[in-house]
Amino acid sequence: MSKHHNKLWYLVFVLPLFIIFATVVLIPFFIGIFYSFFEWDGFSANPMVYVGLDNYIELIDDGRFLNSAWLTLEFTILSLVLVNVLGLGFALIVTSALKSANFARTMFFMPNLIGGLILGYIWQFIFSDGFRVIGELTGYENVFRNWLTDTDLAMYALVIVFSWQMAGYMMIIYIAGIQSIPGEVMEAAEIDGANYFQRLKNVVLPLLMPALTISLFLTLSFSFKIYDVNLSLTAGGPANSTELLAMHIYNEIFGYNNYGYGQAKAIIFFIVIAAITLTQVYMTKKREVEM
Amino acid sequence: MKFNKLFFALFVSALLVLAACGSDNGDAEDAEGDTDEGGEVEQISVFQSKVEISEPLEELAEMYEEETGIEVDVWGTTGDDYLSQLQVRLNSNQGPSIMSVQNIQVADQLDSYLYDLSDMDVADDIAPDMALEFEDRLVGLPYGIEGFGLVYNKDLVDPEDITDYDSFVQTLQDFEEEGINGLMLSQEAYFLIGHISNYPFSLQDDYMAFIDELNEGETTMAEHDEFQEFGQFMEAIREHTVNPLDVNYDRQVGDFVNGETAMIHQGNWVASMLADYELDFEVGLMPFPLDGNDQQIVGVGGNWGVNGNKDQAEIDAAIDFLEWIHNSDVGHEYMVDEFAHVPGFTHIDADGLDPLAQEVLDASNSGDTIPWAHNYYPADIVPNDLAPAAEEFFLDDSMTGEEFIERLDEVWEGAVR
Amino acid sequence: MRLFKKYFKEILLVITALVFLSPVYIMIVNSFKSRSELYENVLALPETLTFEHYIRAMDRMNFGLAFFNSLVITIISVFIIVILSSMTAWMLARKDNTLSRVIFMTFIATMLIPFQTIMMPLIQFMDQIMSTTGLPMLNTRSGLIFMHVGFNASLAVFLYHGFVKSIPISLEESAEIDGASKFTVFWRIIFPILKPITVTVIILNVIQIWNDYLLPSLVLTDQSLRTIPLATFYFFGEFTIQWNQAMAGLVLTIIPVVIFYALAQKHIIKGIGEGAVK
Repeated sequence: MSKHHNKLWYLVFVLPLFIIFATVVLIPFFIGIFYSFFEWDGFSANPMVYVGLDNYIELIDDGRFLNSAWLTLEFTILSLVLVNVLGLGFALIVTSALKSANFARTMFFMPNLIGGLILGYIWQFIFSDGFRVIGELTGYENVFRNWLTDTDLAMYALVIVFSWQMAGYMMIIYIAGIQSIPGEVMEAAEIDGANYFQRLKNVVLPLLMPALTISLFLTLSFSFKIYDVNLSLTAGGPANSTELLAMHIYNEIFGYNNYGYGQAKAIIFFIVIAAITLTQVYMTKKREVEM
Repeated sequence: MKFNKLFFALFVSALLVLAACGSDNGDAEDAEGDTDEGGEVEQISVFQSKVEISEPLEELAEMYEEETGIEVDVWGTTGDDYLSQLQVRLNSNQGPSIMSVQNIQVADQLDSYLYDLSDMDVADDIAPDMALEFEDRLVGLPYGIEGFGLVYNKDLVDPEDITDYDSFVQTLQDFEEEGINGLMLSQEAYFLIGHISNYPFSLQDDYMAFIDELNEGETTMAEHDEFQEFGQFMEAIREHTVNPLDVNYDRQVGDFVNGETAMIHQGNWVASMLADYELDFEVGLMPFPLDGNDQQIVGVGGNWGVNGNKDQAEIDAAIDFLEWIHNSDVGHEYMVDEFAHVPGFTHIDADGLDPLAQEVLDASNSGDTIPWAHNYYPADIVPNDLAPAAEEFFLDDSMTGEEFIERLDEVWEGAVR
Repeated sequence: MRLFKKYFKEILLVITALVFLSPVYIMIVNSFKSRSELYENVLALPETLTFEHYIRAMDRMNFGLAFFNSLVITIISVFIIVILSSMTAWMLARKDNTLSRVIFMTFIATMLIPFQTIMMPLIQFMDQIMSTTGLPMLNTRSGLIFMHVGFNASLAVFLYHGFVKSIPISLEESAEIDGASKFTVFWRIIFPILKPITVTVIILNVIQIWNDYLLPSLVLTDQSLRTIPLATFYFFGEFTIQWNQAMAGLVLTIIPVVIFYALAQKHIIKGIGEGAVK
């Protein structure tokens, strides 16, 4: 009786959201997998030819795809570090007793609201004109030049802008984590005579593991699928040096109109990043339990 | 608890809004089957790529509704994602009644959707060579005629001085000595390479046949003199002018307006930007002197197409609306004054055009022109392949013009694989 | 000396925040400039403080209607997300069996799918639903709300799930022994405890949904349904972008969210002294 009841409650709690989620995300995703076995230009009135696994086999030798995958990995690792260092740093500062913390909390968060072409316009200006002026003033003209027209530096420019945008977002999650640390623990540590950095290392950071898991995963997922910032800041250039995967796939699907092939790339991309990130979630979750 | 109050307030307002929403579903669901019982069409939709004409088009639509009772819904999206949006909508039976068809490559993709417009009254009035035809069907009416080339400052440049490669380079060098930038390109894909790359194609006897051969791998750019000279031109531009990758469209036009640059490679559409400034000189448009070329390059930037997958009644209504725009006085007025298009029709008079548009119109009327080849390039090759190659060229001073052309051959082959 | 040290930190923080915000400064000053002024100097303050571009932008965007649409869509979507995700996450965390783990992992894994790769099948499938069941999925606010809920569910479930695990299970067990139903237990005991994370979920989702362009642009076609970000398309032409109006439009778009955030964040910041789990 009670067991039956529990099952019913399970359905009541889980099913409504899952149905919506499945309709909007899962089913379209599976339709996408289905398309990846066809050669098709993406217009439903035009012919679809079943090609089996050919699309998947073809992408093994696709140099531009592999290069793009490599760039995405590089981008992700760099932003993972920068976003989380900034986000955690901001969170620690703005939850302190400083009077200006309230003001800073809103300010750090604002970049997250600016997107699209305007983000690109502003930052292109900063990198071209702003950096030139800084270079002239400081004399470091070989460092402060237009990063966006340099095939090596454009990637770092992208990391900076993305981190600028995302740090405030992750800050919010870290703040929530810090807020859930019981006050007594902090007080006890203080009474024991621990200084700020000891408290940080031995009390705050271990208790922030759940927030860290979440933030790391979210940064991974946002940077793997970065598209908007990529498009508006560099559009993949110069000379394809910042064409990250989501943009590469978008171009394959809507630019070259290779729908099936583009979907195959998307599926492989998904499998690889899912393997990486879910391992990460699993590992950090395990650490949480041990704590 | 304060928080609970906040949440309660949210909850109540959400409920209220939900109730208000219930009524919106009723009238918004008619995007598709908008015919009533008698087969009369009440509403048609227009989805088009030129954001610049969205507002006047909406005004026209309102006037049309007042006149005929048929509602014309004008959809919109930003300039850069029109085609993918159209594709998604067509695939889900949410396509518009009237849509933009940018060029013949797009017409090829949309072939099965495009209705044959040959029977329209205005079909006979389309200016020579400006109709969009695909497999013997008329699938698009031209938005307007556009031209590009060297837009120059009449106080600084005399077009007589620039007639071929040598005089072009000489001019750039002279300006360089004076401390003026001779010519400016800009970083956007079409302004960097898309438009300027037309000339060696357009100067072939039959550019379409040439591009077909290129796609098939039967010829290369490198083996043609026009392309080799084009490579020389690009080298000269790289050597004697500022790096276009550091320049965006806004800066290009700004520098031109204040006299820091004598020429920019742009089209007559730049007039709308120039109108935002107070100009103290006259502007002109001259042909790009590749291989001694002295003809303006003109073409069509977009076309009106009709979605043939709709009910016949809706197709007819869409055609009626297009006929009305092209045959009514108010339609003509809007096309010329508000859309600022050089009409692609012989029966529409264009008065009061800006000087650049006037040069395009004059050239088009004289018939002494070369065609736009980029409309026949493989779809999206300009941003995806040609622009990255051009960026490489402008970043690497050791790359010669000849190597640049070879690189273009390579990426072209990669794009049509 | 101590006083100096104290203010030094304050000043340092303010300066950091301002440097961080300098791109926002560029956006705001240029929303007041004409094209030639913008070209002359991007960094300078505007010569005259005219709201001309704001008025023009509001007029072209049909701001009142767009604001209403954005408001309705955001509030209802976020409301549904909070209710359903918290319930789901709690159940998945508490009934920690294989099925729950699979469902949870499915939610999480899909956060890695770039929207661009599923947008076409999505709209196709919505059309299928519409034509077979008659449910108004496309070109309606309710359809868009449905999709916002689906796309943002994963993040919310993920956030709630982590938080639920930190709540001692003893609280619920004693209530259940007293005969309370799962429903009562959740809403009376659990949901109030989830408050800090609920505020976080609300903030993150409000921003995401309020600013979203791509999904609404595919779903909504009627002019009368346009949200604020959709209505800014007029400024982004094929060749020419009207930066002053575009930036004015963006300022108008984000002001409501900034106000909302400034108010809402107070609910998660109560100082370290007051923990969430008591």
